[in-house]
Amino acid sequence: MTRFVKVREKVYAGVPLDLDDGVALFRHPNLPELGMLANQVRERMHGDRAYYNLNLHINATNVCVADCMFCSFARLKPGDPGAYTMSLEQAWGKLRERAHQPITEIHIVNGLHPDLPFEYYEELLRGLKRIRPDIHLKCFTAVEIHFFAHTFGMSYEKVLTRLREAGLGSLPGGGAEIFAPRVRRKICADKATTEEWLDVHRVAHRMGLRSNCTMLYGHIETFEERVDHMLKLRALQDETGGFQTFIPLAFHPEGNALARLPAPLGYDDLRTYAVARLVLSNVPHLKAYWIMLGLKIAQVALWFGADDIDGTVQEEKIYHMAGAHTPEALTRAQLEAAIRAAGRVPVQRDTLYNIIETPPGPSPRRLEVVA
Amino acid sequence: MNSRRIRLAAVSFLNARPITYALDPERFEVTFTEPSVCADLLAAGQADCGLIPVASYAAQPGLRVVPGIAIAARGAVKTVLLVGAVPWPRMAEIALDDASRTSALLCKLLSRAQGFAPNYLRVDHAEAARAARGDRGALVIGDAAFDLSGYPYVYDLGAEWTRATGLPFVYAVWAGRPDALAPADVAALQRSLAAGLAARGTIARAFAEGRGGDAKIFERYLHNHIRYALGSDELAGLSEYFLRCHRAGLCERLPEIAFYETAPVRARVRRDALSAAAAGERLCDQDAINLYERAPLGELGCAADARRHALHKDGVVTYIIDRNVNYTNVCVTRCKFCNFYRPPGHPEGYVLSREVLAQKFRETVALGGVQVLLQGGLHPDLRIEWYEDLFRWIKSNFPLILHALSPAEITHIAQLEGLSVEKVLERLHAAGLDSVPGGGAEILDDAVRTEVSPLKCTTDEWLAVMRAAHQLGLPSSSTMVFGFGETSQQLTGHLGRLRTLQDQTGGFVSFFCWPFQSEGTRLKKRDDTSAARYLRVQALARLYLDNIPHFGVSWPTMGPDVGQVALRYGGNDFGSVMIEENVVSTAGAHFMMDAAAIERQIRGAGFIPRRRNNRYQYIS
Repeated sequence: MTRFVKVREKVYAGVPLDLDDGVALFRHPNLPELGMLANQVRERMHGDRAYYNLNLHINATNVCVADCMFCSFARLKPGDPGAYTMSLEQAWGKLRERAHQPITEIHIVNGLHPDLPFEYYEELLRGLKRIRPDIHLKCFTAVEIHFFAHTFGMSYEKVLTRLREAGLGSLPGGGAEIFAPRVRRKICADKATTEEWLDVHRVAHRMGLRSNCTMLYGHIETFEERVDHMLKLRALQDETGGFQTFIPLAFHPEGNALARLPAPLGYDDLRTYAVARLVLSNVPHLKAYWIMLGLKIAQVALWFGADDIDGTVQEEKIYHMAGAHTPEALTRAQLEAAIRAAGRVPVQRDTLYNIIETPPGPSPRRLEVVA
Repeated sequence: MNSRRIRLAAVSFLNARPITYALDPERFEVTFTEPSVCADLLAAGQADCGLIPVASYAAQPGLRVVPGIAIAARGAVKTVLLVGAVPWPRMAEIALDDASRTSALLCKLLSRAQGFAPNYLRVDHAEAARAARGDRGALVIGDAAFDLSGYPYVYDLGAEWTRATGLPFVYAVWAGRPDALAPADVAALQRSLAAGLAARGTIARAFAEGRGGDAKIFERYLHNHIRYALGSDELAGLSEYFLRCHRAGLCERLPEIAFYETAPVRARVRRDALSAAAAGERLCDQDAINLYERAPLGELGCAADARRHALHKDGVVTYIIDRNVNYTNVCVTRCKFCNFYRPPGHPEGYVLSREVLAQKFRETVALGGVQVLLQGGLHPDLRIEWYEDLFRWIKSNFPLILHALSPAEITHIAQLEGLSVEKVLERLHAAGLDSVPGGGAEILDDAVRTEVSPLKCTTDEWLAVMRAAHQLGLPSSSTMVFGFGETSQQLTGHLGRLRTLQDQTGGFVSFFCWPFQSEGTRLKKRDDTSAARYLRVQALARLYLDNIPHFGVSWPTMGPDVGQVALRYGGNDFGSVMIEENVVSTAGAHFMMDAAAIERQIRGAGFIPRRRNNRYQYIS
């Protein structure tokens, strides 16, 4: 029995994969075969559905005390060239411009600003809720929560409680990068550690907040370190069950300190998605973030384990400053057409994966194999 | 066969005639009327199935739609017009044509989206064209819209919709009660449309004779404005319309789009077709169609990858360094999908001089290039001697393989000179031609070709050039461009023609396929050209074309990342480091890579990169 067949048997039997299994999948030369296995798991969980949501991104400041080598967005100090911080009015204005649109979620991720008071963040959320009380606020990565706790002398629980009172609905999954200490020391030494990142999510989950999780791949990490990262997430998920979606994020090399590295290729993108679906078996969703993958590979990823394609993503800044060449927003109609063209059924969801609408349309035709 | 005939209610407008063109009178009994009346007859049980406005479909629960057939348009439709003496924002009142339901709702939807709130009144279809005066606008639909004149403000609501949504608009579909049509009846409706599409010229002339007017205008309308396929884009447009109407409170239900069963859906795939093809057994057309339409992408990919492995066991993926030189952009064929050509006499037309060519060839050699791919437009004044001189000059001055002149150019030279294709090839071969590129094949099906490139060589001409080239010992590549709205049969038919010729000559060394690149071209077809479809088509072709050895991936159109993935969907060649490319890059494909980048892609997919020549032999 080849290594792949052994791993496949474990997948069929529902046995969690270990580090060696995951690495073997990464090294498996037959990409369509790997994709098929991930697709079987994906279809068992989600059938033909591909989820998307209607969302708006707000990046209120790019001033950041952390100096992550992979980042093209942060501008260290206020007043540095290209640095910006939105006034509360400006940030609220982003929603006000679009308040009539059927968006259901605002995704807020910011730099670690050294001078803004905690009340800025609370008021930011309150103001958005005043404009659209029904909107879901998915805000602040674990790195930011940790930074708030550290800067303002509060526990994670206290920070999260105050933000929840201000309107926080869930946490995005950013800032995880790669958990392996070797990599973290090199690319992002001065922000929340692995344990701190996991602990923020643990506390949030215990408080009943849901969150997402990510992995930044394609820079200096090894396959072993990718699988190790997934296994750490899986262990926390076993403990709390609070993760909704895993989002592998491809490293983009333009305009940052790792620009000498090439970006990961399409083959690696798809392989990473497939392995993630198979290893992270207890996180329900896997998101092909089209802004970063490009719509073409994102469509194919819907056959490599992904069941979510993110949203209409208005105002995205972080990836576009790192050289993403994707359009900055798609209309809902364009997203739906892209999902259909990929042979899946588009389903509009809210942040917590409640189904808002399954637009009318035929189910894709499937192979009917008979003797 | 039913004991009694099926009662159809169909629209009498010109745009419906291709759909009703060849309805079998033994099977169907047809009443022709206005769209809204079709829906009424269906609701009253006086018709079994109707070509009804989509708004009426939304209003009647429980109906089924005939798959694949629609009256739709992407952008201007020409026959759904809002007209008036004042601009839209100043229309206090809009008269809605009583024959229309869908367009009336569309008009309300688009008005509301722009913040206009006119009063609406309904007028008789016969009156609509004259109803606009003062600050009252009028919605005019159907054939009456052809004769409108004298209104200073004319809005094509099809164009307005597409501008707002980026999607086509579906005006009408065949719909009926679930038990009204059996799969054989659905197939009969689809056959009628196929015959009608092929007869659009005839239909336009008959229509012009009947009521006056210019048949050419009507033919253009049927060819370029109305879309008859109900494909994924149209369905997205339709569901968008339903959603917007529903949200705006203009229609109560949010309908599901439910389809009649069709005969081909029931077609069976042999359980072993995929594994047999993966093992190298020849696929029959029916199996190929079934696999293409329904096999999951992963299974197709695995089978194609197994086939690739069997043919190329050494794990090598090749590429070539060559230069694409387009010696002229002057062309008489005016293909709608081409952004590159200029008609004779156009100020931007060019023929490259020897000096410019010499410079390009010197650069090519300096960059390690081994081949020049020389192609151009069909220039009306370049004689065969011009090509012969050019070829001799190239071969005596530069160490480059001459991969030149696609079948369309060779056919053109033969016609210009009054020589046979064989004779032309013989002379060019003697002058230095090394191999023939397989471009211009598009889809080798004359129904498709007539629509997209009517003046270019026919299917038989393309194949005849390749046959003659192979018989002279000149190898060639082969290609397929898909995404013109061709059917599965037309697509596999293309592959079938290549396979049959290859059985006879063995002269095709390679195959490339890619989706049609439409950006900025005059061909407004928007078929599915996603990466998923590209991988599916290439994998199927790898399985079907069991006798063509090499498969190149199409990264210039799909992007390097998809190109890399395609190496596991049947590809074993990464094409060319193109020092220059002028044609697809004028239609929205903008990818360039150097040799190092190509080798990185090849290695990243687990293969060993090797450079090759035009016969796919390795070179160091």
